[in-house]
Amino acid sequence: MKVRTLMMFSALMASTFCLAQSPIDGFMKKKGKGSITLSQSIESYDEVFLVPEKVDRVPVFDQVDISATSLYIDYSFTDNFMIVANLPFIRSEGNATEASLENNGFENVREGLQDLALYTKYRFYTTEIAKGKLDFIGSLGIEFPVGNYKVDEGLQSIIAIGNRSTDINSLGIVTYKHNSGFFATGQIGYSIRNNDVPDAFLNELKLGYAAEKFYVDAFIANQISRDGVDILGEGFNGFFPATQVNYTRIGLNAYVPIIYRFGISGGANTYIAGRNLGISTGFYGGLTYSF
Amino acid sequence: MNTQYKTYNFIFFFILTTVILSCETESAYEDVPPTIANIAVSNPAFSTLEEAAITGGVAVTLSNPNPNDSSGDYTVFAPTNDAFARLGLDENTLGVLQKDFLTNTLLYHVSNGNLAGNTISEGDMSISALGVTRRFVNRDNELFINGSKILATDVDAINGTVHVIDKVMIATGGNVVESALALNDAAVFVNPELSFLVEAVVYTGLVDALSNPDANFTVFAPTDQAFIDLGTALGLTFTEPANIRQLSQELVTAVLLNHVFADVSADKFTSELSAGSFETLGEDTITLGMYTNGLLSVSGSGNMSPANMVIPDVQTTNGIVHVIDQVLLPNM
Repeated sequence: MKVRTLMMFSALMASTFCLAQSPIDGFMKKKGKGSITLSQSIESYDEVFLVPEKVDRVPVFDQVDISATSLYIDYSFTDNFMIVANLPFIRSEGNATEASLENNGFENVREGLQDLALYTKYRFYTTEIAKGKLDFIGSLGIEFPVGNYKVDEGLQSIIAIGNRSTDINSLGIVTYKHNSGFFATGQIGYSIRNNDVPDAFLNELKLGYAAEKFYVDAFIANQISRDGVDILGEGFNGFFPATQVNYTRIGLNAYVPIIYRFGISGGANTYIAGRNLGISTGFYGGLTYSF
Repeated sequence: MNTQYKTYNFIFFFILTTVILSCETESAYEDVPPTIANIAVSNPAFSTLEEAAITGGVAVTLSNPNPNDSSGDYTVFAPTNDAFARLGLDENTLGVLQKDFLTNTLLYHVSNGNLAGNTISEGDMSISALGVTRRFVNRDNELFINGSKILATDVDAINGTVHVIDKVMIATGGNVVESALALNDAAVFVNPELSFLVEAVVYTGLVDALSNPDANFTVFAPTDQAFIDLGTALGLTFTEPANIRQLSQELVTAVLLNHVFADVSADKFTSELSAGSFETLGEDTITLGMYTNGLLSVSGSGNMSPANMVIPDVQTTNGIVHVIDQVLLPNM
């Protein structure tokens, strides 16, 4: 397994900010290396995980389609320290009838720049083990709104593009890479959030295979909010960021180098369980330039 | 080295176990009782009520405990989609109603505390969150609230109880005349209604009589289109309410009085009405048809065909109004 090949694959993360994967992968890059990725994701849902049971229609908006265009950059200052940045432009579109929009004074589209994410990533220990390599990585990041999107528009905010919270995220990551190309990455983290958004535990397990000309992984990711209210549950006051959002999401990611320093990535993912969340299935594709 | 491996294995299995154990499952909350708002949203048979609750601004209210009752509970009589459809209302047509009226109508379906189905009996009264009292009626061993049949009882919510009804209940908060004026002034529907009737009542000087706070009228109120059709039948053209003055006051008075039950001691919801002939405040009688699907046709002796109820069971402070699609003509 060529570690250098693996390095590029972190560009896959470009699209994961919007698709409920951890924004940080389990790989490091050599000093001076980095990548820029432009990606496009789409996801859609017409069912919602409410408490105590899911509903087969999104209130007011019937169905919601979300698309995101993201710019992702990472750069390695040393073999063990790198930074990651991501900024998405998100368009969230409901399917409410004209009559419903008029009755409620709502609109079917909310769009704009969402949150800028900035992460540091530090490999504090690495060792050769069992015909492979074991890396221990810590990551600290901040995500904060840069667009002027709104979240306090009552039920209109069902299609809000974000929570308008500032999140401080810390992640502990362990990656084992076997010499054959198979790898496993596990991570556990905690997210501190403001704007009445509940703090959350985060974790993710990813299994994959990375070779010179091909990369693929499958993941399962969880978010468990520490508290919060349920949509239309006791304590709900119409402010959606304060809701308790839990989820389990699974998905696949793939990357193929194409020409020169360019490569393309793609993936699909879906929620298999959740709370106060649209049951969306999403897809993305991205173009990466590595240097 | 063995210790190191054990440590790595521990870390790996710790992460694996954490990921697996933290997977969200429905068992985490499927036993949580829904709120009343959640029941409306979760049940496709209440999609119009859901939209009405959102538009009327009570969805969040019904998500939470009732601050005006020590139990924290509400009792809601929830009209089905079919109930709204009787009035031509669905998710797309709710906009024909003024928002304040919609909110008040929803509040008329809500009361404080838990009113269990097995505690309701004929003749009981219940004060709504609107402040207007509803009454329970037993007809052929079926229970009604006002003119609305209770289809199902005791759907439990964490913040109260839901009973399902087959008609939307309407209360105006004003007397018969004020209620007609509210429709005329577009305080109910976005577009004015009952304008010809209001003009006729003013023209005939019946305002004071129909405003009598001590009366309990049962009134059949013809729509504007009903008066326009009457004009056509008489060879006249009614394009605006003032056109009613083309008819003599005496004639209009006789026609209007033919729309009010002579018995003004007890107003009647549809659930309390049966087929038969009824004395009016005029000199003629009117005839009710069979009680069918919660409605009755009604005809004057001068009508070629019976009138149908368009909006039945409108509760006012001094009577009950049934809006109908024809003017009830006495035998002149």
